[in-house]
Amino acid sequence: MTLARTGLTRYTVGLPLLLAVLLALSAADFRQPQNLVNFGGQVAALLIASLGQMCVTLVAGIDLSVGSVMSLASCLLVSQADPVLAVAMALAMGTLVGAVNGLGVAVAGVHPLVMTLSTATFLQGLCHAVLPIPGGQVPPSLVAAATGQVAGVPLPFVWCAVAIAALGALTTRTRFGLHLFAAGSHPRSAHLNGVRVRAVTVSAYVLCGVMAATAGVFLAARVATGDPNLGASFPLESVAAVALGGVQLTGGIGSVAGVVAGTLSLGLLTNGLNVFGVSPFLRGVLTGALLLAAVSVQRRRHVGL
Amino acid sequence: MIALSMRTSLPLVRLHQAATWALALPPAYLGVALLLTAAAFTRPNLLSPMLLLLIMRQAAPLGLAAMGQSLVMRCRSLDLSAGGVVAMVSFLLTSGALPLPGPLAIAAGLAVGALVGAVNGWMVVRLRASSVIVTLSVSMILSGLVIAWSQFRSAGDAPELLRAFGLARVWGVPLPPIAWLLLLVPVGLFLRSSAFGRAMDAVGANPRAAELSGLPHLRVLFLAHVASGLLSAAGGLLLLAFVGVGNVTLGNDLALNALAAAILGGINFGNGRGGMAGPAVAAFMLVFLFNFLTSLGLGEAGRLMLQGAIIGLAALAYALRHRGATST
Repeated sequence: MTLARTGLTRYTVGLPLLLAVLLALSAADFRQPQNLVNFGGQVAALLIASLGQMCVTLVAGIDLSVGSVMSLASCLLVSQADPVLAVAMALAMGTLVGAVNGLGVAVAGVHPLVMTLSTATFLQGLCHAVLPIPGGQVPPSLVAAATGQVAGVPLPFVWCAVAIAALGALTTRTRFGLHLFAAGSHPRSAHLNGVRVRAVTVSAYVLCGVMAATAGVFLAARVATGDPNLGASFPLESVAAVALGGVQLTGGIGSVAGVVAGTLSLGLLTNGLNVFGVSPFLRGVLTGALLLAAVSVQRRRHVGL
Repeated sequence: MIALSMRTSLPLVRLHQAATWALALPPAYLGVALLLTAAAFTRPNLLSPMLLLLIMRQAAPLGLAAMGQSLVMRCRSLDLSAGGVVAMVSFLLTSGALPLPGPLAIAAGLAVGALVGAVNGWMVVRLRASSVIVTLSVSMILSGLVIAWSQFRSAGDAPELLRAFGLARVWGVPLPPIAWLLLLVPVGLFLRSSAFGRAMDAVGANPRAAELSGLPHLRVLFLAHVASGLLSAAGGLLLLAFVGVGNVTLGNDLALNALAAAILGGINFGNGRGGMAGPAVAAFMLVFLFNFLTSLGLGEAGRLMLQGAIIGLAALAYALRHRGATST
């Protein structure tokens, strides 16, 4: 089976639709407007982090440090009184982490799993140094920006829409986006055609770091407090969302629409389990099974990683 | 080099040669040397034979998992399912879900590991699914199942035989590291001298060429996954033997630490330059590092930061050193 560059198949698009229809038909609680608002808040952080993960995956990388970046962003938010300075610090931290990851992978040639795993461990230690136990207050203006409403539209939806629009435009409307796909699908021919593969790879990691920091700011503002383990589940979940959305880990294939579909699938699964009152412990089992099913129907030519 | 040796003194050249040789070794060797030197100056107690043997005992589970990881990495694949395998093995042996006598229960634990490895291998080889995703999902499913089942069956004690094995000593040397070495040497020799080992090297070096030359490319990869599952289960059994009671979080760090150990031991995707000894030394290095950092009285924060920095810098140094060789 040959895949289009978007990686979209009937399975990647159909899965969230199927889940949504099943839930809407079987659970009355799911259709409540309040649940839909909650749902937006639940998936927004994962969506933002997964869009960053997608950029790295497009250049055949993987970033396991998104969770620690999110946690550190939340710790920074509660340690600063001035919200503007706090957000600026969080974004600068995300940029720096992305640059270190990107340089390690693209220039030194360390495998991305090892590079980002070691930065993740380092940052996790830094989180505990900045904020040993969960606590503190996120500035109220930020909390309002993550939980409020504008003209009747809940703000989490606005965060999602902005992230989708920005990344969508970046990947499909700019030269950089084209270079991302070129560098990921065949680095050598991209290089021979004048694409600066190393610069593109480093930029992809920086973008991922910034998106992870943004996701951390949003999530910390939503829960209104700092937590050194806030993002612990996000490295795996963002990879899962990206993979469910048809983005290929070998690089060069993927799309924003696919990532949105993958994130919605994971979010609907969680929300559905809550609505039905299924044990949250089984959530990992179902997510894993869903992932296995998703990768099993997308047979690749490549064997291995 | 000859022109150089005529002008400079012979000892200097020797030194240069020695430095070049040392830098070409897997980063773990240099790391162990540096760590032992640092410990000799700051915490000499850590270097007493008794403690070193205990650290080796503690390193055995990671060593086994790293061995499995190095096998799949040689074939350009990856196994991140160790956490789930260990959770499942520990649950089966401690919760009374398997009413079997000790030896049979241990055999069943190993069989579960091999089975999980076979499932991983089948999905990677037949369905051509990404090994990262397959093994992560399998790990999520196994740990999720264990957590859900633990609500109904609480964890109990490990089988008597297993705990006795964990504590046993031969002439003062703990049995687990002996078992580890007894497994390490034959497997290392087998991979060096057998046709299977050669096929594994060929598959790693160039999967397509290996396939075109008629090597059983997919079968080698499948067997590597089975071996990795089996070794993860063996590592889990050892962990269980040390702790004595079942615990869901027993193998949480095992998969990623095994990956770090394999890389620090000179294994990379598609090449086994570090052989079997590299990952073993790296496993010892990591466990010694954890003990050293704890003995320095660093809190969680400092320990994690140093751990991340050391693994990252070692991988960076090694990658920069071998950049010319691999980027072509």
